[in-house]
Amino acid sequence: MADHASQTPLISCRDLTKIYKMGQTEVRALDGVSLDINAGEFVAIIGSSGSGKSTLMNMLGALDQPTSGEVRIAGEEIGRKKSKALADFRNRTIGFVFQQFQLLPKKSAKKNVALPLSYRKPKVKDALERATNALSLVGLADRADHKPTELSGGQQQRVAIARALAGDPQLLLADEPTGALDSQTSKDIMALMQDLNKRGITIIVITHEDEVAAYAGRVIEFRDGKIVSDALRQAA
Amino acid sequence: MSALSTLGLAAGSIIERPLRSLLTSLGIIIGVAAVYAMLALGEGAKKQVEESLNSISTRTIQVWPDWNRRRSSQSRPAMPFTEQDVKEFRAINGVFAATGTLTGRSYTIATDTNDVSANFLGVDPDQLRSGGGEMKIGENISYADIETRRPVVVVSEGIQQRLFDNQNPIGQTVKVNNVAFTVKGVTTKPDSNISFGNDDLFVWAPITVARERVIGGNRFVQNHVNNLKVVGELGANLDVIEQEINIVLRRSRDLKVGAPPDYRIFSSRGWQQQAAEQTKSLSFLLAAMGAISLLVGGVGVMNIMLVSVTERTREIGLRMALGARKSNIMNQFLTEALLLCVLSGIVGLALGFYMSKFAMKSMDVTLVFSPSVALISFGAALLIGVVFGFLPARRAAGLNPIEALRYE
Repeated sequence: MADHASQTPLISCRDLTKIYKMGQTEVRALDGVSLDINAGEFVAIIGSSGSGKSTLMNMLGALDQPTSGEVRIAGEEIGRKKSKALADFRNRTIGFVFQQFQLLPKKSAKKNVALPLSYRKPKVKDALERATNALSLVGLADRADHKPTELSGGQQQRVAIARALAGDPQLLLADEPTGALDSQTSKDIMALMQDLNKRGITIIVITHEDEVAAYAGRVIEFRDGKIVSDALRQAA
Repeated sequence: MSALSTLGLAAGSIIERPLRSLLTSLGIIIGVAAVYAMLALGEGAKKQVEESLNSISTRTIQVWPDWNRRRSSQSRPAMPFTEQDVKEFRAINGVFAATGTLTGRSYTIATDTNDVSANFLGVDPDQLRSGGGEMKIGENISYADIETRRPVVVVSEGIQQRLFDNQNPIGQTVKVNNVAFTVKGVTTKPDSNISFGNDDLFVWAPITVARERVIGGNRFVQNHVNNLKVVGELGANLDVIEQEINIVLRRSRDLKVGAPPDYRIFSSRGWQQQAAEQTKSLSFLLAAMGAISLLVGGVGVMNIMLVSVTERTREIGLRMALGARKSNIMNQFLTEALLLCVLSGIVGLALGFYMSKFAMKSMDVTLVFSPSVALISFGAALLIGVVFGFLPARRAAGLNPIEALRYE
């Protein structure tokens, strides 16, 4: 971490706490987490379910706001933003990849990929062109006009990654990206992510599988809403 | 997200579920059609009333001897009316024309080469005005003709056609009962609403000449006429005129206070107003039907939109995660509801138009088609879309993206 100390981190969390109220009881999903992630890193966040990793991911994805503490992404404080500003921020800054792909079943791959661009202001004129470019980044240029139902699971997740990349985000946030894939396809997807990271894209992967975490350059482990380990490692 | 792409999104969503969209639209379609038909009918009724209030037939009061009374052996026969009655009617305030007519049986009207059977009437100059007819050529019967017993006639267009081969008959001679008359004018047919029988063939002579030389007098009274017609001026109070007529007649036939009259007064405005009322109540029925249908249709739209929001919860979550604002989601669903209603509105308008046309042909009601009518019924559909689309759209926009994404 020492070699990154001089530069301003892309993500900076300070004393991050999130408390959910479930009926009478309070659940501390995040408990005073402080964390810096620099641009260009490939980070895996691991932990069992209920460890707080998903809550952190919602926070880093600007989908949720902390009960207390600070989340700063690309210099902007997430906790103070209004819903409208958060939506615009997500659109510009974050690319999401979900476990269940979350593609619109009746739209072509190209249209799916162009979806985030349709919400951007000012209007993106060459959205479909950018979508095609993003599809070729994940090696699916020839499947641009196929609907998700005509694609395999791995291909669908590639389309989802292309969609995350189409908006030119500063951060790619993947939530269990291999959770719905077989092991060989998982390897392909993780290799693709590694490849994208080498091109300079910051990637954060949330996972509970060590094999997946092994592709990352840095692994942060969560338990009971706290970081229990944070280690750099050689990529596999 | 631009308005156009939101519209495209809404259209896509409607097309992707054709059967559901159609079934949802049905209530709105029927509602708009009914509202449209109702408005067209209402406009028609309004026009009908206006027209009937202005037409000469509505302003006409006819007076006839009470025929029923004559059949009773205990009472004296009805007294014939006289030219004096007519004169007094003409003096009533608000009277446009008052005429007394002497009607005979059908007579043979002959030229040297031709003849035809026609109604021969003894008339005064007001006969023309009270019938709503006009002189086509020549002149009307004048008071001087009546005074000086000039043997002249005004013939109808039908006579002109049958006897004179449509040539100008002015100055020609026709014989009725061997009396020679000089044709002085041709008149158009009277207002069809008050015509009875074969009105196309008639001949008018000065009432005095007709009585003395053709039809014959009455043994009870001099200067008798068979029936009386009084036409009120535009906007005149016909009830007042009717009262005045009663006063004149009761005096002229010396009726005691409380004695039943031996004549009857008819006016057509009663049943015409009744017809207008009926049309109005029919249009009210349609309005009620349209309103209920629109309401039910609107609830149907809301229901389907709520189902749609639930079904697409994950899609909504995804869109939000990708950067859609609440307003984007709101607009998407509101536009979908609105588009559904607009499309239904268009179909409903077309349906209403043809329904109304069909009704007009088969039910003898007057309908008026105007842009404002179409606009109002279309506006109703639009309003339904906004009102009933709002709740589902707000529910969609209020979803939490994290929960929406996890929704199974």
